[in-house]
Amino acid sequence: MTIPPNRCPLIVIGVGNPDRGDDGIGPLVAARLKTLPGVRVVTRNSDAFAIIEECCGAEAAVLIDAAAVISNPGRIHRIDLAADELPCELGLASTHAFGLAEAIALARALNRLPRRVIVYAVEGVCFDPGAVMTAEVAAAAEEVVSLIAAEVLLPGLRPEKPPQARRPGAVGQ
Amino acid sequence: MPNTSLTEPRVTDRKTIRVDMIARVEGEGALDLHIQDGKVVQANLSIFEPPRLFEALLRGRDYTEAPDITARICGICPIAYQMGAVHAMEDALGLKVDGPLRALRRLAYCGEWIESHALHLVMLHAPDFLGYPDAIQMARDHAHMLNAGLALKKAGNEIMRVLGGREIHPVNVRVGGFYRVPTRADLQPLAAMLGPARERAIELLRWTSTFPFPDFERDYELVALRHPDEYPFNEGRIVSTRGIDLRVADYQTMFEERHAAHSTALQSVIKGRGSYLVGPLARYGVNFDRLPDYIRSLAKDAGLGPVCRNPFKSILVRAVELVYACDEALRLISNYEVPDSPAIAGTPRAAVGYGCTEAPRGICYHRYEIDADGTILTARIVPPTSQNQLSVEEDLREVATRNIDLPESELRARCEQTIRNYDPCISCSTHFLRLTIHRE
Repeated sequence: MTIPPNRCPLIVIGVGNPDRGDDGIGPLVAARLKTLPGVRVVTRNSDAFAIIEECCGAEAAVLIDAAAVISNPGRIHRIDLAADELPCELGLASTHAFGLAEAIALARALNRLPRRVIVYAVEGVCFDPGAVMTAEVAAAAEEVVSLIAAEVLLPGLRPEKPPQARRPGAVGQ
Repeated sequence: MPNTSLTEPRVTDRKTIRVDMIARVEGEGALDLHIQDGKVVQANLSIFEPPRLFEALLRGRDYTEAPDITARICGICPIAYQMGAVHAMEDALGLKVDGPLRALRRLAYCGEWIESHALHLVMLHAPDFLGYPDAIQMARDHAHMLNAGLALKKAGNEIMRVLGGREIHPVNVRVGGFYRVPTRADLQPLAAMLGPARERAIELLRWTSTFPFPDFERDYELVALRHPDEYPFNEGRIVSTRGIDLRVADYQTMFEERHAAHSTALQSVIKGRGSYLVGPLARYGVNFDRLPDYIRSLAKDAGLGPVCRNPFKSILVRAVELVYACDEALRLISNYEVPDSPAIAGTPRAAVGYGCTEAPRGICYHRYEIDADGTILTARIVPPTSQNQLSVEEDLREVATRNIDLPESELRARCEQTIRNYDPCISCSTHFLRLTIHRE
């Protein structure tokens, strides 16, 4: 019953609802990454404001969310917001008024977006209340866990040391 | 020059404007506006979201389950539903919850009002007045106010988390009190957030008072809870500006729900009179004298009198209530003493219980019949958006009539703004709101 302590410079946010089938991939991946050293790992529903607040003070953020199916359930999209925009066809908007896409847009407009933001979006196919996660998305979750575990060890996502310590061109994958 | 005025057959002015989805409302519904020969002939707020049948879900469940089930009705105002349910169950059991437990309930209510009002004011409603399509576009020019709103929402959420166990669908509320109560130390970080949050609420009130408001008023019958000495959250009589003054248990003697073919939500009316208004404008109008002097003074400085009948100025009243909720939360925290027990015990009996509380959007009425072992036999829940549906339709008819010569896009925008005046929670009343304007 206390307010959370100050933020870690690197945060991993699993976005989604574990009770709605493939929408649970964000929380599932976050749960698997809980023990990553030096990383704050949280789960959030798709409330934009909570996501913005969680990012507050962080230098880098990795966000995991389910996406609408485009081609194959379980297909993993890695979007580096330093280089790319969120593709509209992934449907990363919430069923409510503000979703991940809106959270990122609002945080950017308010100059509150962390220096680096990587979004892992996994195409899902079943979002029914109470449904279990599909095998394809569950398998993708394991792969995303491995990708993020490797990625957060790279200098590009770690808080910047003095400028001379920075490895030019190291931006993750 | 052709002579057309007398010889050509009269062409009926017929037009259809369609908006597939109105953004910035909670839930799914539609508005059909029919305009014929320059006159608005029909305005239907159609709620087509499938009924969720919570009242049926509650039947056969134990009375102790009602707070957790009803909390699932809404992600924005779960406290209102929980509190309505616990008050009704306590009424049935003959329990009276007072002292620090009652104070904690008021504090939870402060949290819900703060997070709900801050969200609506800054993110959903303010863009309408400043000509932005959404809060994201508005943020580029008004970042300070957006950040103020977000800080307030965060403070409200923290209250909810500390008292409710989590921010959405709290799990710590029970019939008779709470499962766990905070220590004084638990509440101190909240006070540290609420002090600055209060100042930001005053900034938001001053900011919104500079907005351009349409010159529009309607003679609503304002209906709200009224308490002998408090601005109402969870206790009081049901009072209106036209003489209604009822015990909560007598609600159904004056109010009834009816089915409209175009809506999956029931619509409430005052028997023999029709529409009425609940929510911030009603609460404020019925209870202006219950606000502390300095908040009345802030309201006056913002251009508000003791009663406001301009629905577009509901944004001002929400800002006033934001200030009040911050102040009241600070007062409650300052005076808080840990209760001897987190809840008082009750014994079920065959009875009917009634509850009514002031959700951010207005009064929310509950009635439950339970049997001797506490099983719920019947349940009735009347959410605020159901009660405001007719007023929304009447506002739309009037607004559209007055603005009928506006270009289509402007008329559409004004109609959407009219709906957002109500911060409608369509999910509660039964998600997207579609607006269709038919001109014939």
